[in-house]
Amino acid sequence: MAASVRAEPDAATVEVVRNYLNSAAEEMQRTLIRTAYNTIVYEILDFGISLYDADRQLIADSPGLALFLGANDYALNKLVDHVGVENMHPGDIFLLNYPYWSSTHTLDVCVVAPIYAEGEDVPQEDNELIGFAATRAHWLDLGAKDPGYVLDSTDMHQEGLIFPCTRVYKGGEPDEEILELIRFNSRLPNKVIGDLNAQIAALRTGKLRMRELHKKYGSEVVTASIEQIHDHGRQTARDAVAALPDGSWTAVDHIDGTTGDLIRIEVEVTIDGDEFHVDFTGSSDEVDEPLNIPLGMTETVCKLCFKSITTPDEVSNAGQYDPLSVYAPEGSVFNATYPAPTFTIWTAIVSVDIIYKALAQALPGHIPASSGGDLNDIMLYGEDPETGRQFVEANNDAVGWGATDERDGPNALMHITETMVRNLPMEVLENKAPILFDELSLREDSGGLGRFRGGLGLQRDYRITGPVGALSIIQKTKRPGFGLAGGEPGAKNGVVLHLNDGADERVQILVDNTDLYDDGLKWVGMFRGFFEPGEVISNRSGGGGGYGEPFERPPEAVLEDVIDGYVSVASAKGDYGVVITDDLEIDHEATEELRG
Amino acid sequence: MTSSHHLAVDIGGTFVDSVTFDRESGELAVEKASTTPADPTAGVVNAIEKLGLDLADASSFVHGTTLGINALLEREGARTGIITNEGFRDIYEIGRTNLKRDSMYDIRYNKPELLVPRRRRYGVGGRLDAKGNEVEPLDEDAVRDAARELVDEWDCEAIAVCFLHSYQNDEHERRAGEIIREEVPGVSLSLSSEITREYREYERTSTAVLDAYIKPIFDNYVEQLDDTVRDEGFDGSFFITRSGGGALTAESATTAPVHTILSGPAGGLIGASFVGDIIGRENLIAVDFGGTSMDACVIEDGAPAVEYESALEELPMMIPVFDIRTIGAGGGSIGWLDGNLLKVGPQSAGADPGPICYGHGGSEPTITDAALALGFMDPDQFLGGEMDLDADAALSGIETKLADELGQSIEEVSRGMFDVALANTVGAIREITVEKGLDPRDFTMVAYGGAGPMFVPLVARELGVGEVLVPQAPSVFSAWGMLMSDIVYDESQTYISVLEDVDHDEFERRFTELEEELTEQLSVEGFADETQSLERYVEMRYLGQEHTVSVPGQDLADLDELGERFEAKHESRYGHTMDDPPQVVHLRVRGIGETDKPTLEKATADGAGEPVGVRNAYDFAAGEMTDFDVYKRGSLAAGQTIEGPAIVFEPTTTIVFHSDQTAEVDDYGHLLIQGGV
Repeated sequence: MAASVRAEPDAATVEVVRNYLNSAAEEMQRTLIRTAYNTIVYEILDFGISLYDADRQLIADSPGLALFLGANDYALNKLVDHVGVENMHPGDIFLLNYPYWSSTHTLDVCVVAPIYAEGEDVPQEDNELIGFAATRAHWLDLGAKDPGYVLDSTDMHQEGLIFPCTRVYKGGEPDEEILELIRFNSRLPNKVIGDLNAQIAALRTGKLRMRELHKKYGSEVVTASIEQIHDHGRQTARDAVAALPDGSWTAVDHIDGTTGDLIRIEVEVTIDGDEFHVDFTGSSDEVDEPLNIPLGMTETVCKLCFKSITTPDEVSNAGQYDPLSVYAPEGSVFNATYPAPTFTIWTAIVSVDIIYKALAQALPGHIPASSGGDLNDIMLYGEDPETGRQFVEANNDAVGWGATDERDGPNALMHITETMVRNLPMEVLENKAPILFDELSLREDSGGLGRFRGGLGLQRDYRITGPVGALSIIQKTKRPGFGLAGGEPGAKNGVVLHLNDGADERVQILVDNTDLYDDGLKWVGMFRGFFEPGEVISNRSGGGGGYGEPFERPPEAVLEDVIDGYVSVASAKGDYGVVITDDLEIDHEATEELRG
Repeated sequence: MTSSHHLAVDIGGTFVDSVTFDRESGELAVEKASTTPADPTAGVVNAIEKLGLDLADASSFVHGTTLGINALLEREGARTGIITNEGFRDIYEIGRTNLKRDSMYDIRYNKPELLVPRRRRYGVGGRLDAKGNEVEPLDEDAVRDAARELVDEWDCEAIAVCFLHSYQNDEHERRAGEIIREEVPGVSLSLSSEITREYREYERTSTAVLDAYIKPIFDNYVEQLDDTVRDEGFDGSFFITRSGGGALTAESATTAPVHTILSGPAGGLIGASFVGDIIGRENLIAVDFGGTSMDACVIEDGAPAVEYESALEELPMMIPVFDIRTIGAGGGSIGWLDGNLLKVGPQSAGADPGPICYGHGGSEPTITDAALALGFMDPDQFLGGEMDLDADAALSGIETKLADELGQSIEEVSRGMFDVALANTVGAIREITVEKGLDPRDFTMVAYGGAGPMFVPLVARELGVGEVLVPQAPSVFSAWGMLMSDIVYDESQTYISVLEDVDHDEFERRFTELEEELTEQLSVEGFADETQSLERYVEMRYLGQEHTVSVPGQDLADLDELGERFEAKHESRYGHTMDDPPQVVHLRVRGIGETDKPTLEKATADGAGEPVGVRNAYDFAAGEMTDFDVYKRGSLAAGQTIEGPAIVFEPTTTIVFHSDQTAEVDDYGHLLIQGGV
């Protein structure tokens, strides 16, 4: 860049530019939601959206899943390195889902476009590159070994069609042969092409807004403003890190895996002045099951945790992540290499609570105790008996959140990785799949014990009324979360199956937990199979952890919990040392005796 | 004696606005009184008294009230209980389990307090399936016991009932309602299916709960106000404005008060549609700029945009409400520094202490202070000279809080504050236009609220909108608009079917059923057939989509035509059609009873107002301080054209337009500001 006269935008101009970029990213999101063809995009919000400057620095994003915060950063760099910016042209659009580059599983397809100042009709030589727009969204099918979701792949080639930075639009025109290739490789070709078009519509919005911005202020002012936006992000984040205590903290936990062996997750967080480092050394090596995650996804997980304690109220930009560094050894579950399977990205989801577990040692009580820690996803698929059409419906369920040093944990909220996601209304699901719900309720006694109680998980019972395929995606059913300062973890996640005879032939149990419980019920984690009328899938989500000693919880608060049925009379007595009479009153004498 | 006056009263956060229009003389009178939160009726009565109107002369009284929303915000509604299906009493607490958007990364998030705690939620036996067929009969004894316990045990004053799939079949809810009325007759009751017949159990439950929660308070208030005005001799019709357009009779408002919960901003939109109709503008963007917030709504083909799913305090409502985009940008919005960024709002100095220039102890520079610094306001003419503004204090506040820090002049910073507030506003308006496939350049903006006429002409320039309409009395326009309300009722029903499977007779039968309910209601209220009209809409989508598109269902030759209308609408809104089959989701009918409204008379041209002076102010078109001609609005005459830059004062607001804009006074005294694009 010429070191001549630099435009110095004033504070208002910088703010106007920042605003403009943020609303451009928001507008991209709304375009995608409105035009998408599959419920996983517009209900579960399984997408990430970002805008970059010409130096590939994030300038605004609008993820659907909190987990997809800045998730396209890694993919964009790989794409530009692979294709070469000199080989990109106005009107080009690229597809990337090679997991180790795209930094997620194959079904999350990154669709990326370079943005040029003069639009699509002016050739690249005379057209200034001003940035990139990127979207990723979950496609319903790319011909993986199983429809819906893959739970047991052993290498990438069972996980669907791969796009290694494939140019699907060239100079504004679609490449029909590539579109045809996609159609022929998908079980749901119309949906997939529809979602591709929705992503392209979102890119078009982003490109248009970026061009308008450059036209209005001139590239110099925009570039200088972006620099100031990044400076501001950098400074805010560095100040926030500097205010945290220095030190190193380690946390270890395990996810279920799918083969009977637990997968180890080890995280070390180091805060040193205004630097923040996360290290995954000590975690399991790559496994022959789809629970490996690419390095880019590992970075994204760290960005989420980092953002939530430094700049939670601001729209993302590259500057905010300047203090953050991440390390995972190559070949670990957190840095998957070809051809390791990566389909079930749940390792990423569960690891978030483990990073918080390390941080909670530095900031006990400010970081809440753990949540239930999972998404408790049940997927239903099959053929609609009336229309004969194939359907796939997925419903995620909320978990209890952890208590802090000043309040109980909230009941039944979506996991921090997907806080914008809503569950599906039962009246909607009963209209779409052969299901009749028997129950949707908060699980009594599922909140972790403590001076401040953890939030409750929930129970949702799906009664099957017609033949249907179903599977669960869940990885934290064997190990509990954590409480803080004497508080205890909440109830674990799990699924109870009520099956007819002969179900062994139809239903594959990948994770069996029956031996963890003594109630005689069939407790499982991950499963997949075909279900018959009369069978029941009872999904039970975990509770949040408690904070502080349970015996220090005021008896009046325990009584209120008993009246509302959040805590049983037995637990009030046995766990909290509070004796509640049949008339729902506190027996103070007996309570004092118990509590000593 | 004839009753020739129409009366409207709008309660706001700070003021009660009253307006009366005399049909015979064509005269409009406007007054303001203070809001009296402890006894809302008193403020209304004061505002009416200030008009000096003999209530016996009023033929109609239209009222917009914030009572319901205040009860909710302050958690002062009735003790409410819920009766729902056995096994599902936590639907209300679990909800949809998402966090609100600005809390996306907040690990310490907490849920807002529930209106109904778990102890007051009862499940009873009985179940319908998705087709509305009974799977298990209603356990009537359980309903009886639950109702009794809610009242005896938990002192409930109101009960909300919502059963799964009651949008398909309301029999269980109706039966439960009968039992509850028998068992606990003093309790107020809200059945979800009586308020909405649409699917999504949590949203429907929440709607019924909101209704139940505000009902006892609302009933008392309406009864008290009705008694008071009748005692003063009022003998006309008493109406309450609705959140989603039009008004209801006070009597029907009490059967489902949730419909009035957002009636505050509704008056302005009715007024804007009315004015648009008179001057031949069908596509409008109504922008209400007040002290703390900006409310914008699109009016397309004469009808304000309506949405069917919204939320208050994170509590969803499944009733039609005007689709109003609100942001925290108004005259009182505060300018502040976040590191090297200049921000404006969403915090507001409000009415108290207010902007620095009010001299009431405000110390943070606001948009109003910046407007003073830019020369748009005359410190001696504020509120018609009733209140002096302290310009020196405003300037020095801007200087010390912002300009010194940034190393900029007061003028530069003030302009910057306008630019930032403009960017926020433009973003919000873009959301309700561009993102819905509408081009703002095809619209006229209507500017009202205290700060609207100063700010909206700038917003228009940014958006490329070529025309801004400033109505009469813009600062009380919402009350004025209420005078123009028709009586409106909405009925809808979820009817999910792929279009090709829809039986035309069944489709007609369902629509006719909804229409019969509406015409019956309107007839009972005394509307003759020729004053009634019905509008059909069909909510449709492609099979597999969740979001629907509203398609006019009027005058269909056959269902193929409905499919064509849907495809055309989808294409225009989303830029593509799909191969999937179209699906019908909801049927909606709006029933309208046309009221006897004031008519606007054309003014006769009578000379032309001359400038009364010149002010040095900032011209956004030229980018410099320059001389603006100053006019008084009262002196302007129909047909007069004023070249910008100019400032037009009226007692409660200031109209500003710039050197690339021109204003024309039309026959009704509206100011039409054009150009700037």
